[in-house]
Formats: sequence, structure tokens, C-alpha cells
Amino acid sequence: MLYKRYIEIGRVCFIRLGDDIGKYGVIVDLVDQKHLLVDGPDGIGRKVVRLNQVALTDIKINIPRGCKTKTVRTAMAKEGVEAKLAATSLVKKFAAKNAKAQLGDFARFKNRVAKTASNRKIRSTVRKLKKSS
Amino acid sequence: KQWYQREYGVPVQKSPRFYPTEDCKTPLKNRRVVKPTKLRGSIVPGSVVILLAGSHRGKRVVVLKQLPSGLLLVTGPYKINGVPLRRVDQTYVIATSTKVELPALPAIGDEIFKRKGKPTKNEKEMFVDNAGDNSYKISAEKVALQKEIDALVVPAVKKVDMLQSYLRSRFTLTKGQFPHEMKF
Repeated sequence: MLYKRYIEIGRVCFIRLGDDIGKYGVIVDLVDQKHLLVDGPDGIGRKVVRLNQVALTDIKINIPRGCKTKTVRTAMAKEGVEAKLAATSLVKKFAAKNAKAQLGDFARFKNRVAKTASNRKIRSTVRKLKKSS
Repeated sequence: KQWYQREYGVPVQKSPRFYPTEDCKTPLKNRRVVKPTKLRGSIVPGSVVILLAGSHRGKRVVVLKQLPSGLLLVTGPYKINGVPLRRVDQTYVIATSTKVELPALPAIGDEIFKRKGKPTKNEKEMFVDNAGDNSYKISAEKVALQKEIDALVVPAVKKVDMLQSYLRSRFTLTKGQFPHEMKF
């Protein structure tokens, strides 16, 4: 099994647990076996995060180790990190999960009704195909 | 000047003729002011609400207004889910974010909901007459009022897509759903 996403300086990571959930940052330095120094846009700043709080993405930018926040941010802007991130399935799934959690009771009801209707259609189509074959 | 013509000062408050030998504590004054029950910000006339207790638990119901007693006046509407005009405490209710635009409704107070008390002993009779049927019978006035209110509320509900079937359904929890994590 070949790993493609490495923990390296410049790797963009998405924070999936903890207080900064939903935010992203760039790995600027390694603290120890389980902690990273991460720097990101205004919402997160420069901060130490645990490895398990974080999900690595495919995006990597070129920055020197331990560089200043300003450098990180200009490099991120140059590479267009935010736009690239929004296109990743990781961020899309997270956004979808978030949106689902924000649904009210009525919306949940409507979704459930739509789902049962579509499931019924699917099952009846499958049954028809089984019968004909 | 004579004694009856002289001017005397008289105390406005005379000292009491009697006071106890030891100082005894006086109870604090009751300064309680009865205020009307504060309604949750999420509950507004027209908001859909989930009943949590009683025979109609789990049913979604429309709030008409807050009565002077502090309780919520609520109706299914009766035609949709069988919940009549009813009083409900806001603590036994989950407020959803769905709101129905209600037209102007007739004024309703707490009086029609007051139950007749048990028959009390008459001075002349020995025993209280409990033999008769004292079960609760819905008054014709209430039935008429329910029809009147339904005629106003049901069209307002039908205007919103799928709201009628939503009010017909009951609220349930399935696996993985935790009310404290859910948005209503």
C-alpha cells in the first residue's frame, strides 16, 4: 500500500475534531510524534494541533519550515488553497454533514418522505427487472 | 392665658401602650409580584410545536396564543391530527422553527377550559351524590368553537407544501438521533 499524503511541511490539513472543526491550516512544523504546528487563515491562526484532530488533504504548498504567518498566507493565496480545498470530497462531505445537522424538524420530515418515495420506486424497478430477466 | 388656651404639641405617632419584654423577630414582608409567564422566544402564535406528554405525545400541533393563565392554547387542528383546542404548558413542548401564518382568530380565554368541580355536600343531605355520571362531556360550545377555529387554521396550513402531512405524523426518535444534538 503506497501512501500518497505525507505529513510534511506545507501539507494542507483539514481540522475535523475539536474547537476549530471545519477549518484548515498548513503544516508549518512538527512538535513531536503526535502534534503539529499548523498555520492558517484568520479564523485559526498559528496553533498546535494533535494528529488525530486533523485530516490530510492532497494539497501541498511550498514553504520553509517554521516560517512566519505572513509567508504562509501569501503562499496559500498564491496557490489558491481555499478554492482547491472547496473542490475536495473531504470538504464537500463535511459541508453536507453540517448542512444536514442544521435541518429543522420539518425539513427532516420532508427528506424522509422523499427518501421513502424514491426507495419505493427503486425497489419496484428492481423487482420488475428481476421478474423480466 | 388659661390652660385651655395654651398651645401644646401632640405627637403624630404615639408610642405604643404595650410592647413585649423581649424583641421578637418580625417576618419579612412578602414583596412577591405575580408576573405573567414568560414565553420562550421560539414559541410564537402560529409556530408548530411537538407535544411531549399526555395522550397526544409526539404529535405536532399549532400554537394559537398564550392564554392569560400562562399556558399555551394549542390546536391540531382537530381535523388534521385529532388534537382539539387544548391548553398546554410550554415546558412540555418542543418548539420547531416552522411557523404558520394564522389569520385573525376569535378571542378565547381560560374560562371554557375550566372543569366543573365535584359535587359538594349540601347542608341538608347526608351523603354526596356521586352515583350520577360525572365523566367529562365536551360541551356543544366547544365543538362549535373548534369548527370555527379549524375553518380558519386548516386553510392556512394547506397553503404550505406538505405541512398537513407533517402535522399528521408523529415525532419519533430513531437510532443515532439525540434530541440535545438536533435542531428543531
